Amino acid sequence: VSNSLVAALTVDTQVLDALTDNFAWIVPEMILGAVACVLFVGATFRVSRHVWAAVSLLALVAAGVALGATLPETWQRTRAEVYASPLLFDRLALLVKAIALGAGAVLVLFSWNEVPDRQAGEYYGCLLVIIAGLSLTGLANELVTLFLALELISIPTYVLLYLPRHDSGTQEAALKYFLLSVFSSALLLFGFSYLYGLAGTTNISAILQSFSTAHAADVKALEDARAKGLPAPESVRPILAQVALILVVAGLGFKITAVPFHFYAPDVYQGAPTVAAALLALVPKAAGFAALVRVLGFVLPASVLHEGAGSIGLALSDRIPTLLWILAAVTMFLGNLLALLQDNVKRILAYSSVAHAGYMLIGLAVAPYLKGPEAGSVEGGVETVLFYLVAYGAMTTGAFAVLAYLSTPQRSVETVDDLAGLSRSHPGVALLMLLFLFSLIGIPFTAGFTGKFLLFFGAMAVPSAQNGLLFQVLALLGVINAAIGAWYYLRIIAVMYLRTPLRPLARRWAWPGLATLWVCAALTVGLGINPGSHWLMEATRAAARGAPVASPKEVTER
Amino acid sequence: MDIDFLRTLLVVLLFLPAGTAAAVALLGRRRPDAVRWLSLGTTVLCLLFAAVLAVGFADLRATQDEAGKAGPESGSRGFMNFQPEIVPGAPYVTKDAAGKPITDANRTDWDLISIGSGSVQFYIGLDGLSVWLVVLTALLMVPSVLISWNSIQERVHEFYAWLLLLETAMLGVFLSFDIIVFYLFFELTLVPLFFLIGIWGGPERRHAARKFFIYTLAGSLITLLGVLAVVLACYHQTENTVLTFSIPQLVKAVHDNLNSSSAEVRAFWQQLQVWVFLALMTGFAIKVPLVPVHTWLPLAHVEAPTAGSVLLAGVLLKVGAYGFLRLCLPLAPDASLTLGVPLIGTLAVVGIIYGALCAYAQDDIKKLVAYSSVSHLGFCMLGMFALNATGLSGSLLQMINHGLSTGALFLLVGMLYDRYHTRKIADYGGMAARLGLLACFWVFICLTSIGLPGLNGFVGEVLVFMGMFEFDSDVVNGPVLAIIGTSGIVLGAWYLLTLLRKVFFGPVKEPEHDGHGPVPDLNGRELAALFPIAALCVVLGVFPQPVLDAARRDVDVVARIAAGARERAARAGQQAGIPETGPQRQQGERPHTGNAEKVR
Repeated sequence: VSNSLVAALTVDTQVLDALTDNFAWIVPEMILGAVACVLFVGATFRVSRHVWAAVSLLALVAAGVALGATLPETWQRTRAEVYASPLLFDRLALLVKAIALGAGAVLVLFSWNEVPDRQAGEYYGCLLVIIAGLSLTGLANELVTLFLALELISIPTYVLLYLPRHDSGTQEAALKYFLLSVFSSALLLFGFSYLYGLAGTTNISAILQSFSTAHAADVKALEDARAKGLPAPESVRPILAQVALILVVAGLGFKITAVPFHFYAPDVYQGAPTVAAALLALVPKAAGFAALVRVLGFVLPASVLHEGAGSIGLALSDRIPTLLWILAAVTMFLGNLLALLQDNVKRILAYSSVAHAGYMLIGLAVAPYLKGPEAGSVEGGVETVLFYLVAYGAMTTGAFAVLAYLSTPQRSVETVDDLAGLSRSHPGVALLMLLFLFSLIGIPFTAGFTGKFLLFFGAMAVPSAQNGLLFQVLALLGVINAAIGAWYYLRIIAVMYLRTPLRPLARRWAWPGLATLWVCAALTVGLGINPGSHWLMEATRAAARGAPVASPKEVTER
Repeated sequence: MDIDFLRTLLVVLLFLPAGTAAAVALLGRRRPDAVRWLSLGTTVLCLLFAAVLAVGFADLRATQDEAGKAGPESGSRGFMNFQPEIVPGAPYVTKDAAGKPITDANRTDWDLISIGSGSVQFYIGLDGLSVWLVVLTALLMVPSVLISWNSIQERVHEFYAWLLLLETAMLGVFLSFDIIVFYLFFELTLVPLFFLIGIWGGPERRHAARKFFIYTLAGSLITLLGVLAVVLACYHQTENTVLTFSIPQLVKAVHDNLNSSSAEVRAFWQQLQVWVFLALMTGFAIKVPLVPVHTWLPLAHVEAPTAGSVLLAGVLLKVGAYGFLRLCLPLAPDASLTLGVPLIGTLAVVGIIYGALCAYAQDDIKKLVAYSSVSHLGFCMLGMFALNATGLSGSLLQMINHGLSTGALFLLVGMLYDRYHTRKIADYGGMAARLGLLACFWVFICLTSIGLPGLNGFVGEVLVFMGMFEFDSDVVNGPVLAIIGTSGIVLGAWYLLTLLRKVFFGPVKEPEHDGHGPVPDLNGRELAALFPIAALCVVLGVFPQPVLDAARRDVDVVARIAAGARERAARAGQQAGIPETGPQRQQGERPHTGNAEKVR
């Protein structure tokens, strides 16, 4: 008796150690949160956008340093530890954190001159909380943590959208976003409650483990039945798991603007200030995909993985690829076709962001089939989605940054015609916009091409034994959409380069805006050509494997 | 010549225009003359490099052939593959099963992006199919720069930057031996042309530019899917699963799979090929263009500035034909035989006749030349899908001929337009009396385009039709296609000579022009643009042998692959119990020698 007690106690100490470690992992988020509090309070004393922007930039740098300093030392976690931790620090978490901090820095630069002095404190406070939320999404190993992280993104976004409140359009945008976002959160929670009810735990790894085991049993039963010539047996996984799946996908579909949860996007992007639109196009999408990848079990920690190795992304239901297939096809087509009809650049970019969510869903849909023994190991699954996310972030933020850079308080750039003859009046900016648009089309030597190429590669790589034809059709739909998409991007390019200016835009020079443009441009080009794309692909591959974060010491030892 | 020097030269040739494009863009709008001279210098230098490389390549092949005759492997009937020479980054070193290193001088080890177990490589080189097209590209760039000297006055630095970037993209397509790098350059050609047409084109330029871009992009994206399908099928089906994007290796893998001992694998590949062929065809057929998808071409040609038209007709249409030759035939040989010959053969013949009739109906000189391209590219495709060495080499020669003669025709149209700002045939008459030298060149180039014996067009056309006459199968009657196609030559003579008669002969009718006094005849710059092309037309007409010799081995590769497809079709036919007539003749088997002698 005493022996087993001792054993139980030692396990508990391990688990306790693991829990204590968890605190160290969220130091960057804590820093961001603390600085956000300082900003909220400080804004009542000091009105200056320069001060608060600089403080937020420093906070992001500090968070980055803290991230580097708190990388987990011991990383081979046992299953008990994983099941007890609300957080999971693997390469996926690291990648999402890096994306979050990078996006945060770009967005701070972006908004430097766009935010009125009066609102600067609140604005940057909210921005930091949103970044902390995104960063936490990648870490979440617990439904509660995940929901908390997503709400940390949503709630400050409502404030950001409402801050300018100068016209009815903005108010409509804020209200629309608020109502639909709350609705989607409710759906998500509803789905989570089913998951909890079915698995008896809120720990994501534990939930996925139990479903993976059931999936393995299902597969085995099916094989046995086939061998004996019997009809397919009923799944041991409850049908309610599919209800949970649909609710979760619907809730997160709002974040990634998948059709039919995209309705808010065009109106909100158009009504919101350009900075907020850029933020909406990037941060919730990244968080949504990170959450989808985590909850649907596309990335599993090594200690959970080994039993249901073939069940990447299939744990909840075998129908996940079918569901994502339909979602991807509808999202691509609707996004691209509706973008053709728009005249407002922000609305075009909104529908384009819908379409790009569709492309990324292709990657998730095919991910379960790309890691089996039949497929060998090819690119195209989760790693490509993560790659595309970064590429998409760079090019879309860049396009929004161009609009913001060209707008003045007196005259904001809204319609396609406002960009007429941009190559004459602003050759440099026009060239950068050209780069972003070509990347969105998917012209070679840009990030967009590499991303699309890898996505289509993955879709074509599904072995024919596993409904390969279905996904090859999806790839065909994807390229058709890429061609449709080219039409409206090309329209903007044609207006910029092939027409003479109607009402020339004011020339201005502002270093933060230019810095944003150059960072986005460098990423767009850098990810399209070799060292950059190679480096990010390595990082996303490790993230998609759920590889542990090796501490610097171990790297040098190897 | 030192091989390392040639390798470096090849990389320089590819990237020098792009580098100059950046420099030219930075020079800005203030110094148009510096921009023009820099561009001219670069294109002339590139032409020089291309010529040196071509000579080096011919030397290499000649020494190899010498050595091959003496060596034990001469006359080997094994599988022959594309063998790029002058590959930067070579040699590629692998280890065989025993761990012994194997060096392959025809492969590179410059990786671009590693994907799964393989990687996209920066694999460029020259072989017989590409070497003359590279020279053609470099050659046509020089007149393109010269002809734009005075006619482009707005945004000069941008114009030359796009033009030079286009040169890099075009050269890249012909030099690539990695299927993804090929695709990268293939798509990159769209961007500069979009701007060249869209900014400096005629009144309908914006519509033309967008139509051209979307048409070609949509087609090439479907081509990309076909490319991926081949790559992945080779990966999944081959024994030692290494993902490869190298064109020669893919060709080898496809060949091995098609001749696999397992009936299941063979059946899978027979089925797959049809899809691959259709996917690859979509993109290349739009680029060529074959008839139902040619509608972008007259619009783009007519609206483009002269330099754009010259390069579009001279080089970019060949990109499509080259794609068929390099990818479509070797990667889907059986489908090319069973599906491609009837489909492309018919479309080509329809294109020859339809293009010629359309050309005759035009009242605009440039549109006439544009439709004549549709017709002439039909000859090119017809020869290619005769699937034997004669037809293939004729097709390759026809690509170069068409590049020279149609490129020159567009130059001549541009020169006429620069003087009178009209392209209506009805506005002109008896111009030979006013512009004697220009008229001389017009007559001469039209005759090469018609295919007058002794000039280049004749050699290519004869080889094409000889190839088609040799072809026969139970689906397609080669001689019938050839005879119908031959009527295209007659039609070509009809519309071009009619054009000459209306514009240059008869009573003098000179359109209004801005300047005072008589309109000047060709100046030195224009002569410099035209003369080299005209000279080459004669040289190729009387002495095409070096061109054919350098290309021979690689043409044989394609011909042998096609012959393999015929054998398989014959075997399948015998197994099915159908009496077999045509395919057993196996003309493609015969090594390709001395067709040109026959011509002469």
